[in-house]
Amino acid sequence: MRQFVRDNQVGMALIISALLFAVNIAINPASLNANTFGSIIALTLLLSFASAGQTLIMITGGIDLSVGAVMSMAAIFTANTMAGQEGQMPLVIAQVVPMALIVGLVNGVGVVKLKLPAMVITMCVSNVVTRLQYVYTQGLPTGTTSKFFTMTLQHRFFGFIPGMTLYGIVIFGIVLYILNRSRYGQQLFLTGNNRNAAYLAGVRSDMVEILAYVLGSLLAGIAGIIGAGYMNFVICQSLDSYTMMSIVAVVVGGTLLIGGKGSYLGTAVGSLLIIVLSNCLAVLNSSDAVRSVIMGGVLILLLAVYNKEKPIRQ
Amino acid sequence: MLEMHGITKRFDAVVALNNASFEVAPGEIRALLGSNGSGKSTLVKVLSGLVNPNAGEIKIDGKSVQIGNAQESRRLGIAVAYQDLSLIQSMSVMDNLVLGLEPKGPLGIVDRKQVEARAREVLGRLKIDCRPEDLVRSLPPSVQSMLEVAKAISLKPRLLLLDEVTASLHHNEVDILFDTLRELKEEGMAIVIVTHRMEEIYKLCDGCTILKSGETVARGKMSEMDLNEIVYHMTGKRPDAAAQGVCQLANIEKEEQVLEVRNLVLLPKVKDISLNAFRGEIIGIGGLEGQGQSEFIRALLGVHKPSSGEIYYNGINARFKSPAQAVKKEIGFVSGDRNKEAVFPIRSVAENLYAGKTTKGNIFGYLGPKQINSFAGRAVEEFNIKAGSLKHPANSLSGGNQQKLVVGRWIALAPKLLLLDDPTKGVDINSRREIHKILKKCTEDGMTVIISSSDNAELLEISDRIYIFYEGKVSAMLAEENRTEEKLVAAMMGLISCDTGGELDG
Amino acid sequence: MDRPDLKMINRFESFRRSPAFTGFVLFSLVLILNIALQGPDRFFTASNFGLLLEKNTPLILVTMAQAMLMLLGMIDISIGVQLSLVNVIAIMLPQELGVPWPVAWLAGVLAVMTISAVNGFFVAYMRIPSLLSSFAMIYIVKGINVIIMSKPQGTVPEIVWRTYASEIGGVIPVTFVIITVLFLLWIYLKKTTYIKHVYAVGGNERNAYASGINPARVKMKAFLIAGFITGIAGLCLTAMSGAGNPLMGEAYGLKSIAACILGGIALSGGWGTMSCALFGSGFLVMIQSSVYYLFKHLYVWIPGFQVTTYWQNLVSDGIILLGLVATIFTAQTQRAAFKTGLKKQLKGGERLGE
Repeated sequence: MRQFVRDNQVGMALIISALLFAVNIAINPASLNANTFGSIIALTLLLSFASAGQTLIMITGGIDLSVGAVMSMAAIFTANTMAGQEGQMPLVIAQVVPMALIVGLVNGVGVVKLKLPAMVITMCVSNVVTRLQYVYTQGLPTGTTSKFFTMTLQHRFFGFIPGMTLYGIVIFGIVLYILNRSRYGQQLFLTGNNRNAAYLAGVRSDMVEILAYVLGSLLAGIAGIIGAGYMNFVICQSLDSYTMMSIVAVVVGGTLLIGGKGSYLGTAVGSLLIIVLSNCLAVLNSSDAVRSVIMGGVLILLLAVYNKEKPIRQ
Repeated sequence: MLEMHGITKRFDAVVALNNASFEVAPGEIRALLGSNGSGKSTLVKVLSGLVNPNAGEIKIDGKSVQIGNAQESRRLGIAVAYQDLSLIQSMSVMDNLVLGLEPKGPLGIVDRKQVEARAREVLGRLKIDCRPEDLVRSLPPSVQSMLEVAKAISLKPRLLLLDEVTASLHHNEVDILFDTLRELKEEGMAIVIVTHRMEEIYKLCDGCTILKSGETVARGKMSEMDLNEIVYHMTGKRPDAAAQGVCQLANIEKEEQVLEVRNLVLLPKVKDISLNAFRGEIIGIGGLEGQGQSEFIRALLGVHKPSSGEIYYNGINARFKSPAQAVKKEIGFVSGDRNKEAVFPIRSVAENLYAGKTTKGNIFGYLGPKQINSFAGRAVEEFNIKAGSLKHPANSLSGGNQQKLVVGRWIALAPKLLLLDDPTKGVDINSRREIHKILKKCTEDGMTVIISSSDNAELLEISDRIYIFYEGKVSAMLAEENRTEEKLVAAMMGLISCDTGGELDG
Repeated sequence: MDRPDLKMINRFESFRRSPAFTGFVLFSLVLILNIALQGPDRFFTASNFGLLLEKNTPLILVTMAQAMLMLLGMIDISIGVQLSLVNVIAIMLPQELGVPWPVAWLAGVLAVMTISAVNGFFVAYMRIPSLLSSFAMIYIVKGINVIIMSKPQGTVPEIVWRTYASEIGGVIPVTFVIITVLFLLWIYLKKTTYIKHVYAVGGNERNAYASGINPARVKMKAFLIAGFITGIAGLCLTAMSGAGNPLMGEAYGLKSIAACILGGIALSGGWGTMSCALFGSGFLVMIQSSVYYLFKHLYVWIPGFQVTTYWQNLVSDGIILLGLVATIFTAQTQRAAFKTGLKKQLKGGERLGE
């Protein structure tokens, strides 16, 4: 039993999610409906898109605090450019991709080449991006996403499978390919686990790490576009909370803070746990505050079991 | 004052100390000698509380004592200066000297004047060229070593242990240190020094204890033992320093020279190294620990930038900027420091085996578990690696099998040149033999191997020619009938040396 | 050998190698910029100093608390929400339970010290990385804050905020006294064995352990000290705002980390002093003020120049990012200074005469 708990962090996260959901239904049977189901799936997907880049970066042993800011910025670009019209998507992408590329490069070069602490440089970059949102929109973003785009995200197949699943298939496909089916993914894991050994084995670890930050920002940008479409309203910093949530999702999903181990499916399960937890607490009619405390408690518990550092004395 | 009997310590399967005994009297300077891996350092660590022996008895002044941790060792009046230093780099000299034993005034305030006075006293005594307020990290390595000694002496111990501290000292510093040690001896301190420099022992020590494979094989007074006898006890062979001309490349003309190194300098460790290697040869690099072998091999790989000298690889002047470039040019590297430099502990066995190959090909190209597993499966079979499953993490394997993972990683890629830095350190005898077999087979297919080793038997067994490093230079090159353990030992101890031409400048 | 010029050079050399050098350079640059933009006659007035300190004392104190932890190679990103905890306790206890305000304020400080100790326990004894542990603490403390006070409300007794914003004798701002007292506390600490042990553990935990120091205990104490300073900072924030707001302090957590790094403290531990914290937070303060005056001038110089205040924020955050990169270069000159020192020593006995 103990062994099982210790070795199966993702499994444990899944079990906790299932239990929470069961509690949820037991307390309020009315919540067992297609709508709840659909919104849980949609929110989980959105969070796992946001956490995709964070997963890559945390596998290298780094952290990215600019995820939320990049997402918000992308969301603003999306709403502003689309302005309710169809056929503007290429233009949106032409804005979001260069923005994300620059942010990712600054982060990556700052961490790898300048050896600045990842947390500090990504936070400062995130501040700049946030300020840019206000300058760009004068503090009052306008516009809405196109009806068709929003419809593709919000439509429910069979009444409960959200349209976002289609996007999910593509994004999961790409991220899983990068992580588990490409040379780059393999090099990323090796670099994260033992940077020195990877370097000596001929891996260009600097490049691998910078690329992780760039890909991370790109994925955050895409998540921002989708987020804008799903929420269908936009204010400055609207998606900032995803920075914190993505870190929690990744850590809960079994990625080690010191790097070298992690999986995207784990992150998805972590996202599910967060969403189900907050859904469950919402059903319990508990306030945001209580939800926050319980969230912190669960996190501490998982950290104490899975993310301990080694003692000096062995 | 100190007696140790029947000390035994096992690290997993490796026996570091086997029923070893040791004693030292007050007012005596005793040398603790032994070749690589004979258990000297472990014995010192038993006394300093860092290693807990499996069996044995330690007596101080005839009373049996237990040394459970570093504090207890200090309380018993034992002080140790470590080869790899226990100083805090970002702190000042005086703070380091009193760390853990700061003189306190009222309100817990450190008595800075007293600290400084103490520091000045001990710095003056050892004539260390630095100010008490200097940061340790701004000081050159030799001064840091002296500080390590000073830190130990300032504890005013009854027993002082110096573990290879002279290795990075200059000659004048060694003289100062020895004068001080003689003074301390007059004051009745018992001093134990571990060193590989034979001439120092005769200058300083009263007696010596010799360890071999964890056992105490000889002890005696320096006045009654000559150098030949000491080397004999250390290695089991009498040194043969008579051989001349062991430095020249024996007049063998082989067709294809794969690697030629001329007068390579990489301070502070590598001072002047020249060697060459032909296709299909196994070149051994021997010598005591820390004579520049590791740095030399890493310079070939492009990790360190040599300050001067030339490296020709396949006839082209090759100075790689990173291992990635070297690997691209079909060079492989196996490190003996598994944890830090070779194994990816939490990645799977298969991934570890595939690590060298992940760099070959388009970076976003497809690489599925099937490819990795089939490659790894073949390697596991070929190299007889004992792993529960390809999916298990590498740290679930035994040390020997982990090392086979790393060797196998490169062999399967068939590089033109394979560099190995002490690959069989801490590896059990069976795995070691298998690694040797693999290497020999590969050279038949045209691979060139350069292997550095701290184990003489290994060098003699597998290498075609052996270069012996001493203090950053080649002291001898042994080939064919010159390849005897006696000569190897003589060269290791620096009893013979050869001028490979090209004096070191600067 | 007692030539004063040599002594000065020596003193400068050793300052150049001290951790505070990085922060000092950055801080002086923006200080000069600020004086130039604001005009010396307006800058050097008691009321200007008072205003600057009044608005920024919480940031300065929080940076000091963060620095205490960073010397050990730890961070606490939940420091921001801890500030809010002090705020809500100090406001709600008198308002809801009729507790006299001084008691409530003391309770606020004690509460933060408790939170910090809990976090310290997770880090020092449970060995959870401080980043993650404090990350979880954010959720917990933020929740507690909102439970205590669901929306911004309440007031602070007039005497408190009046005193906070006043100047003693019309010259020395009260906030200056608060900062000075805490800095003196640091000066005292710096002379004790405790801080020596902090530097040792921060520099190399294993070697410190080998020298007979208990790293866990050292860490625990650092969390208590940091908690105390954070508590005082929270009181200052409350006095400054004059009201309660459960979400007010959050941004300070990450800001304090940036300030420490800008001041020259190494995130890996063992390198830095409290002066670094002062310079680093001073840099952030001065940037904001300089950019404000810069834009004021721009409006005058360029007729028809009209931008929103959002531009000011963008420019100051951009400069902070540049400042962060600049720390690399000062660190490099520092390394060069070490190297020249090394060469001198390699050449031999120059210094023996001293």
